Amino acid sequence: MADDFIFDFLHMEIVNFVQRTTSPDDKDKVISKLEQMGYRVGQSLIEKFTRESPRFSSELDIIKFVCKDLWNGVYKKQVDNLRTNHQGVYVLQDNKFRLLTQMSSGKQYMEAAPQYLAFPCGLIRGGLANLGVNCVVTAEVSTMPACKFQVMIQRT
Amino acid sequence: MSRQSSRATDPRKISQELFTLTYGALVAQLVKDYEGDEEVNKQLDKMGYNIGIRLVEDFLARSGIGRCNDFRETADIIAKSGFRMFLGVTPSVSNWSPAGDEFSLLMDNNPLTDFVELPEDHSNLNYSNVLCGVIRGALESVQMDVSVRFVQDTLKGDNQTEIRVKFIQRLEDALPAGEE
Amino acid sequence: MAVCVAVIAKENYPLYIRTIPTENELKFHYTVHTCLDVIEEKVSSVGKSSNDLRELYLGLLYPTEDYKVYGYVTNTKVKFVIVVESSNTQMRDNEIRNMFKTLHNAYVDMLCNPFYTPGENVKSKAFDNTVNQMMIQD
Repeated sequence: MADDFIFDFLHMEIVNFVQRTTSPDDKDKVISKLEQMGYRVGQSLIEKFTRESPRFSSELDIIKFVCKDLWNGVYKKQVDNLRTNHQGVYVLQDNKFRLLTQMSSGKQYMEAAPQYLAFPCGLIRGGLANLGVNCVVTAEVSTMPACKFQVMIQRT
Repeated sequence: MSRQSSRATDPRKISQELFTLTYGALVAQLVKDYEGDEEVNKQLDKMGYNIGIRLVEDFLARSGIGRCNDFRETADIIAKSGFRMFLGVTPSVSNWSPAGDEFSLLMDNNPLTDFVELPEDHSNLNYSNVLCGVIRGALESVQMDVSVRFVQDTLKGDNQTEIRVKFIQRLEDALPAGEE
Repeated sequence: MAVCVAVIAKENYPLYIRTIPTENELKFHYTVHTCLDVIEEKVSSVGKSSNDLRELYLGLLYPTEDYKVYGYVTNTKVKFVIVVESSNTQMRDNEIRNMFKTLHNAYVDMLCNPFYTPGENVKSKAFDNTVNQMMIQD
């Protein structure tokens, strides 16, 4: 019951904290700090979540795991839609992204959205990196609280 | 093959772990960013305070608890409802001062420290200091000025974790609580 | 019980190695190193054949005259290797499996320590204790 919103409270305060302790001209630093924290949490969470899973057979298999199991664990729902161009770009759409639902849907809040999405982006990137999938994750909001996460696989 | 069925999931446990891990990432970041454990403790306390003043409304609404009559009742509610609701554990209330203005919350198990091993060079870090802030913030919102501090911590080899809460004064005017 | 327990990073360098007796460490480093190819081969077959190995436990990697070497790979490509003496005939497959399971759980908890940086050598006391339990001679 209570414990799924206690994370929301903590996350909100972390966002506020990083904002008020970082110089206002340094928006990128705010984002990167939040992203890094998410990354570290993603690394640990995926290690836990895949403890009993059968071995993955493909990259798509891994992405599906993120959309279902990881999302379910963290946000208590699955990703609503997954699309891919089959060339290493995946788009995960969540029509009601939990960390945005606490915010009002007014336009002025759109500006704050990137700060609230940095941690979740890092979480995905950290989880995937630990599974051997190196990628860049960005998020985009068109109408609150719907959100699209774009995962671009980095092949080297 | 369905992956969904491959893992027994306890949603409550996962939420708890997500919270624990996120808090851990925060503390590790603060330890990197700030010089000295005292400063980290202070920041954690401040963040807890801010969480506490927001949390208390939610808590009162969910639990349906009204105004407390005395400090003993407050102590009981913090332990039996507050901690249980938010951390899933119920600390025991003990070590009351003779004047009845000071008590300890004792925990055998603190979920915040589930996976934590403190680095040796951070012996002054009060890892779970956010809890002190949360209690302080929450009580201030119901017009109670208190001081809260860690006395014992299992992370540092103590047998139990002890948080000491001291009543200072009742705040008469309900000033709107502000962020620190 | 085990005479060597090793944890190898996904990039194939050792994160942790513990041996009994400790003088044998160099020898086991070599043993562990040689088995990485066998592990790689077993894991890379996943998805390529119909009877692929989707279990994390890989079983016996190879027996030598003196030792039996067992392997396990997590989904995050971290490898665990357990070496037991060949003379120890009482060890059943199930026991080895359970040892890996315990080792895996201890590894996950260790990784969740916020002060641990993934990829660094494992120095956790809790992890050490778990491994010690596996190495007690009976």
